[in-house]
Amino acid sequence: MQEFNAIETPENVELAQPLAGIGSRFMAGLLDHILLGAGVSVVGFVSLIVFAGLERWSAELAKPSWLALISLLGFAAYWGYFMGFEYFWNGQTPGKLAMRIRVTCDGGRPLGFVEAAIRNLLRPIDALLGYAVGGVSMFVTQRAQRLGDLAAATVVASEQPLDYGTSDQRRGLDFNWEPEVTAEALLASGLSPQEYRALSSYWMRCDSWSIETRARVLPPLIAPIVQRLGGPSPQAPLETLEAFVVALLQGEKPRS
Amino acid sequence: MTPARFLGVRGPAWDRLESLLSRMPRGNLNALTEAELHELTRLYPAVAVDVARARALRLDTRTLRRINALAMRAQALLYRRERRDVVGSVGRFFATDYPRLFRALYRYVLVAALLFFVGFGGSYATVVLDPDTAYSFVPGALDEVDGQRGLSAADMSERFRRMPNAPLATGVMTNNISVAFTSFGAGITAGIGTAYVLLYNGAMLGGMAAHFSNAGLPFAFWSYVLGHGLLEVFAILIAAAAGLRLGLSLVLPGRLTRTASLRAAAREAALLVLGSVPFFVIAGLVEGFVTPSELAGSWKILLGAALLGLALVYLLGKGYRLRAALIRK
Repeated sequence: MQEFNAIETPENVELAQPLAGIGSRFMAGLLDHILLGAGVSVVGFVSLIVFAGLERWSAELAKPSWLALISLLGFAAYWGYFMGFEYFWNGQTPGKLAMRIRVTCDGGRPLGFVEAAIRNLLRPIDALLGYAVGGVSMFVTQRAQRLGDLAAATVVASEQPLDYGTSDQRRGLDFNWEPEVTAEALLASGLSPQEYRALSSYWMRCDSWSIETRARVLPPLIAPIVQRLGGPSPQAPLETLEAFVVALLQGEKPRS
Repeated sequence: MTPARFLGVRGPAWDRLESLLSRMPRGNLNALTEAELHELTRLYPAVAVDVARARALRLDTRTLRRINALAMRAQALLYRRERRDVVGSVGRFFATDYPRLFRALYRYVLVAALLFFVGFGGSYATVVLDPDTAYSFVPGALDEVDGQRGLSAADMSERFRRMPNAPLATGVMTNNISVAFTSFGAGITAGIGTAYVLLYNGAMLGGMAAHFSNAGLPFAFWSYVLGHGLLEVFAILIAAAAGLRLGLSLVLPGRLTRTASLRAAAREAALLVLGSVPFFVIAGLVEGFVTPSELAGSWKILLGAALLGLALVYLLGKGYRLRAALIRK
């Protein structure tokens, strides 16, 4: 299972489509089945009252028409709910809407009727043993596809708004500056090439980590460097340590 | 270009795209003026290219995610499907595409028929040779009317008359369509599930036919079954053929990968099974309204044969003329 589905746009650019996790898909399915059950019960109950009223008027007709209606309704609910919603709501059902996930073709294009039909005609197979079949399929496929998704060539994408964060200029550090190993920088900083590479790869990645992870990773990384070259204590606040890393990478010799 | 300069030059375009997109949360194009829509179509490809450049410049993950998400949202808006005319495409499907699809896949229908009749013949022979085995195929309740055991033609018509027409028709219809859909889906088990459905249903019918034949009532049985059954079994065979197509695509993918082969087969097979629905509707109406009626048995059989004949004429004959016209052009 991956987090992203790479899609190729007509502009020949690869975009990353975030995939929905098994958890949100399970919750969406649960919600849909609850809604479906509730909807069928309500309609069945209301129609029962209506037809019970009609029975006084024509006993011959009321009960058979109610039975006929119920079997059509049950059929439409069982096969039509997912197929219909996914087709007319562009890949969403009420449950998926609530969980902010959407079915799309695996190339990122919106779902068509045939895709909606295939993935939901195979739903009863995926739903065997309480969706165990579909669940196993989602675990072992790269894009978390159940059998219906594999046959229909669809994926379920997440549309949770991403938190882009605002760390870029927060501490006056330019996160977009890219370190480059030069002989001058190495000589000036006194770092070994390995140390320089370790620090620069930390710097390139750290903005996608949480503050806690950074505070855990950085001190042991720079402890031996500080010991040899001097600098802030590894117990210093993260901001001080990261400023120190930038200074080193830019070829400044630490002043002890 | 340095990352900082890139951000400075391109940042305003991203902000602009973001503000345009945020004004159309439901994808409603009417929320924008014409000029803004034009702007959107120019912004999107530029931002899509920015994603590739940002990756090459190794920009930080947050910026990358932001412009990737922007490009994704714009992409979903601009490359959406046009609203199709549903009635028109369903009409076109049945007028030309479906008969052609059937003719392309008729070999699968023949294999399905073979499996069905193997089940039928096997159980028929078993029950004729050893009448006691009948109850493996026939529900025991079939032999009882008002607690009395015994089969007679009068009992059969009595049993049918007790069911009101409409619920019988819709119940049979929806049940058969569900079986059809399931036998398509069961094809993903390399066709084993579909083969089982075919053998099982064939064996049920064969067992019942032999049971009534043993009781000396073969005509009564067939006159009740064939009126709706010819078309119904034919439709089941079509649906099962779709399942077999799905299964064979996994067993023998040819030069494709198994996934690619499954995808290609699933489209054809799903259309094949969806197109069989009208046959089930017609067969269900016949079973609900004609089969229980007082009509003579031979007329019912004739009706069943006529319906099957019409279905075959439709499936084998439709859709040629248009193709010929297209070739002439």
